[in-house]
This record gives sequence, C-alpha cells and structure tokens, in this order.
Amino acid sequence: MPSNHNSIKTRFTYRFARSLKKLNKNRPASQSMKETYRRYHMIRVASYASMASAVGPKRAWSRAVLWKIRNRTLHRTLMKKSRIHVLRTRKVSGNPNDLRKLVPGGEGMDFCRLLNETAHYIKCLRTQVQIMKNIVDHCSN
Amino acid sequence: MAGEDATVQLEKRNEEPLNYRDGNMSSQWKLNGNNLTNTSMVINPTSNSMVESLSCSSDSMADSFAPPIWNQPIIWQSLGYCDMNVKNNASTSNTLGNGTSIFGPVRSNAMLKGSTFLPDFPVMLPPSLPHFPADSGFIERAARFSCFGGGNFVDMMSPSESLNPYTGDSLEAFMGNGSKSLPAMQSQRHEINAIECSKEVSLPVELGTEGSLIKNDKMIENFPSSHDEAKYGIGVSAHESDEAKFSGSGFQEELDDAAGESSAKGLGSKKRKRTGQGTQINVNNGGRQLATESAKDQAEIQQQGDQNQALSKPGGNRDKSGSQGSDLPKEEYIHVRARRGQATNSHSLAERVRREKLSERMKFLQDLVPGCSKVTGKAVMLDEIINYVQSLQQQVEFLSMKLATVNPWLDFNIGGLVAKDLQTGTIQAVLPGLGSSSVPLQGSVNPQFSTVGGRLRESTSQVHCAWEDELHNIIQMGFNSNEPLNSQNLSGSPRLGHMKTEH
Repeated sequence: MPSNHNSIKTRFTYRFARSLKKLNKNRPASQSMKETYRRYHMIRVASYASMASAVGPKRAWSRAVLWKIRNRTLHRTLMKKSRIHVLRTRKVSGNPNDLRKLVPGGEGMDFCRLLNETAHYIKCLRTQVQIMKNIVDHCSN
Repeated sequence: MAGEDATVQLEKRNEEPLNYRDGNMSSQWKLNGNNLTNTSMVINPTSNSMVESLSCSSDSMADSFAPPIWNQPIIWQSLGYCDMNVKNNASTSNTLGNGTSIFGPVRSNAMLKGSTFLPDFPVMLPPSLPHFPADSGFIERAARFSCFGGGNFVDMMSPSESLNPYTGDSLEAFMGNGSKSLPAMQSQRHEINAIECSKEVSLPVELGTEGSLIKNDKMIENFPSSHDEAKYGIGVSAHESDEAKFSGSGFQEELDDAAGESSAKGLGSKKRKRTGQGTQINVNNGGRQLATESAKDQAEIQQQGDQNQALSKPGGNRDKSGSQGSDLPKEEYIHVRARRGQATNSHSLAERVRREKLSERMKFLQDLVPGCSKVTGKAVMLDEIINYVQSLQQQVEFLSMKLATVNPWLDFNIGGLVAKDLQTGTIQAVLPGLGSSSVPLQGSVNPQFSTVGGRLRESTSQVHCAWEDELHNIIQMGFNSNEPLNSQNLSGSPRLGHMKTEH
C-alpha cells in the first residue's frame, strides 16, 4: 500500500532523526573506538526501534522488535557484545530456520505467516536503508 | 480435467465467481425452480404454503437458499424443517425436534401429510404422482428431481427411490448446513436466485436417476451449481460460525474476509471461488469439484481433526458418479473439494490448501526480492530471500556505524524533517549538512548553517585527525560491502578540510 508506506517513511524519518539528534547531543568530544561502537550500537537500535514504532503494533515483527528493545536494558551488555561479534562473522547459511532467526518474532509462527511477515519486513527494511543512506549522504556532503 | 479446472479457476479467480453466478443463475434456478415452485409456490406464498412446499420437497440447500427475497423466517423455518428431515433420516414426523420452533407444528404436519400435502400446491406435481411415502430421503430426492426440467415425474419416482443415497446425503448435508447457514445467505445471489426461481412456474420434471443426470449435461450443470450455491452458503455460514475455531491466523484472515462479504464474494478463499468457476468451466466435473472444494474448506477449518466422516462422502460420491459429487457432510463444515485424481484424505486436502497459500506468498516475495524473477523452486527462493534480508540488515548496520562516526556533531533540524521531499524518500531539508556550499539545504536550513558551520570548524579542527583514524579503522574492520561508502568516508574528511578553508 503505497500511501501507508509513505506515512511509514515519514514517521520513521521523523523518529530516527529525533533519536539521532538526541544521541548526538550527548556525544563527548573524544572519538574512541569504544565510544564509536557504543554510538554505533545505539544508532542501530534507534533505527530499528524507529521503524518498528513507525509501523506500529500491527505486525508481529514490529511487536517483537519493540518488545525486545523494551527488555533490552537488562541485557544491554550481553547483546552488544553478541551483536558486534555477529557483525564481524556474519555469513550466509542454510535455509530451514534462518529466516525465522532473521525476521524478528519469526520463531513462533507457522511458515505461511512467516512469509507474510517477511514480505512486510523486507519492505520496511528497504525503506530504512534508503532513508539512512540519504541521511548519511547529507551528512557527508 | 480437474487440473485444467484448477488452473482456469486460479486464473479467473477474482473475476469469475460473480460472472459465473450470473451466468448460471437461470440455469440454477431452472434447476431449482421446480422445487421452489412446487414447494414454495411462487413468490408470495403465505407462510404456511411456503412451509408446506418446502417441507414436501425437502429441498436441497439450493432450494432453501432460493427464496431469500421471501421472508427470512419462512426460509429459516423451511430450512429448519428440512434440517430436521435430513438429520434424522427417519420419517420426518418424529424428527422435528430441535431447531426452528416456528415450524414445529407445521413441519410435522407437513411431513406427515405427505401425499395430502402435495395437492395443495398451486404448482403442481403431476396428478399422476403416486402416494408419497413420508420419507425424508424420498422427499429429498423427489424435490431434487423436480428441479431437473420437466419430465415424467412418475418415472422418476420409482427409480429415484433406489437412487442416490449420496444425493440424499448431500441433501441432508445441505439441509443440515442450510439451517445454520441461512442467516449467512443474505446475498445478492440468493435474491437473484429467488427471483429467477419464482419465475419458474411450470414444473419441468425430468426426474431421472443419477445416471441420467450424469448424461444430461444440463442437469449436471444445474445440479452442481445448485450445490455450489448451497456450498457457498454453507461455506459462508460455516465460516461465520466457526471463526472462533480457526487456529491458523492466515487462514483466519481469509475466513474473516469471507464471512464479512456477501456469499458471492464472501467466498473470499480461493477454494470457493474456484468452486464457482469450476462448475462453469467443467460441467462434468462440476459436482466433483464442488465436493472437492467443500471438502478442502472443511478440512481446513476443522483442522483435519474430525472431518473424515464428512470427507469420506466426497470420495464415495466421486466413485459413484462424476458429476454429482455433492458431498456435504451433515455438520457445519466448510467444504473443500478434492480435485480429480487427488487424494481426498482430509489431511491431504488441508495440506494442498496450505501449499497453495504458501506458493502464493512465495510469489509475492519473489516480486519483492530483486533478481528473483527467474528463480523457481521453494528452496532456492528461500535462500534468496534470506540472503536479501541479511544484506539489508548488514546495510543497516553499516549505515548506522557510518552515522555514528560521520556526523556526531551535526545538529538535526527536526522541523525540516517534515519537508516535502520525505514523500519521495529523499531528505533534503532535514539535515544541515557539513556546510557544503552547494545547497542540498533548503532555505529554512540555511540560516542555521552559519552556526553549524562555526561549530563544524571548531570540531573539525579538533577531531579531524582522530576522525580520519577512526574511519580507517572502520574500513579495516572488515565491512565487506559498501565500497562506495568507504570511499565516501574518505572523501568526507577532505571535504571537511575544504570547508575549513572555505569559512
């Protein structure tokens, strides 16, 4: 639905820019690697959270993302470590449950529903990437 | 043939049902017309006459559906009555137990009176009609046969008695479902049917045996369509009543749609639409298809649990005669019909439905994922999808890393976010850039530029060297993708230097 998607785009952009602003406000002057990693992590979480909240609770994957973020404070350190590790060693593997692992909230649904959620998730991911690219382009100009 | 039907049905799925219905309306109603005229008289009967007629004919679902324009209570009553008959399979008089209370006494009278009843009809059974046994099955058969054009009613009677155990069953099934599904039958189709039906005054009585029906294309055509209608109704009602039972969420969505719409469209699930088309396309297999469709639906809804009873009928029906596979169970199921040459086990039918849904989703995903148009096969498709999702997620991570390093000192203009360009996905007025004099920034942003630029000068001078180091580190971190981004990172710093000199 193009009109819905445009509104999702708008909402995501707004929320993401707002969170970026908030993140950048608190940025210390020093640019250590650790600091960068932390910022990177926060920005990534912010982008997923912005997209999930822009989509709303209608979709299972957005609900799963928001729920995960809500519970994130308990596992922040652990998750950050695992995420960075995954970032470095990500590789393409086989089928069966990979799609479930990739799509948030995909563990507990049947395959048919999983495909539905995947389709919507792909659409929103694409939007997310596109907007982030635009932001980066503007920031780098 | 079944395969052809399936493909044709799939192609025309979204358009055919209505057309089909319209096209076959007259035929259907010719088929059912006699029943209706016989039993329910023409359109403005009194409630009693309606009752009588309906009770006598103990029509199939089609009949019961036929007069939606009439008072609904009448219809319900008649259906309830029929339901009684069907379910009990005994002499109807005793069976009028549950259900529509309106009818109760009337029904019993109607049934019992049997032979005395019929003469009451204005449209009449031929006077040569012998005495009717007050047998529900017989009456059903008689009613049904009266639908099939004119003819010798008497001739039909005798052979019909030995006939069609399954037509009787199907009738029962229809009726069994009819009472429940009637509330759902408020569709245009039924209205149209009713109107057409009412127009049929003469009694085309070409009752024949099942065999004759098979041979008679017209009958075959009509018969399945009537059953089709009934099945539609049944399906819809079953959907509505069984919605709560559905466990599959995806399927539930379809059913919700189905329940919410008229029966013509309400058969939102593809199965039902295919059913409608099937009768049109393949006359001979129409009944079979209908049975398959209904059985399939049924299997789906009942979650393969207790459908064997209902689904066994389609199998049995198909064995007997190809055309009249009206295999409605006695309970409220959504009917799925197995296609020709395919297993009719409830599990396999549900499985097939599931597979079809999956393939549809896969096709949709194929459109989404770029470069997948020529890929065939579920496994390869899944691999591509997984790769694509992974690449998108990697891109997000990379971009967020870039954002973390590139512009920590940027001041975002939130007001500018609501720029028109958002619609096109480009964010021009959002961010005050790093002070490039070429203006991606719109007018509103420019005033802020000086402040940002000032800050930039400050910050860049401080962090310039450290920033470059960080960029190099990031690049060396092994981001395998986004070469252009890397180059952009590198070019970013020279630009900063450039800006410094500018201001």
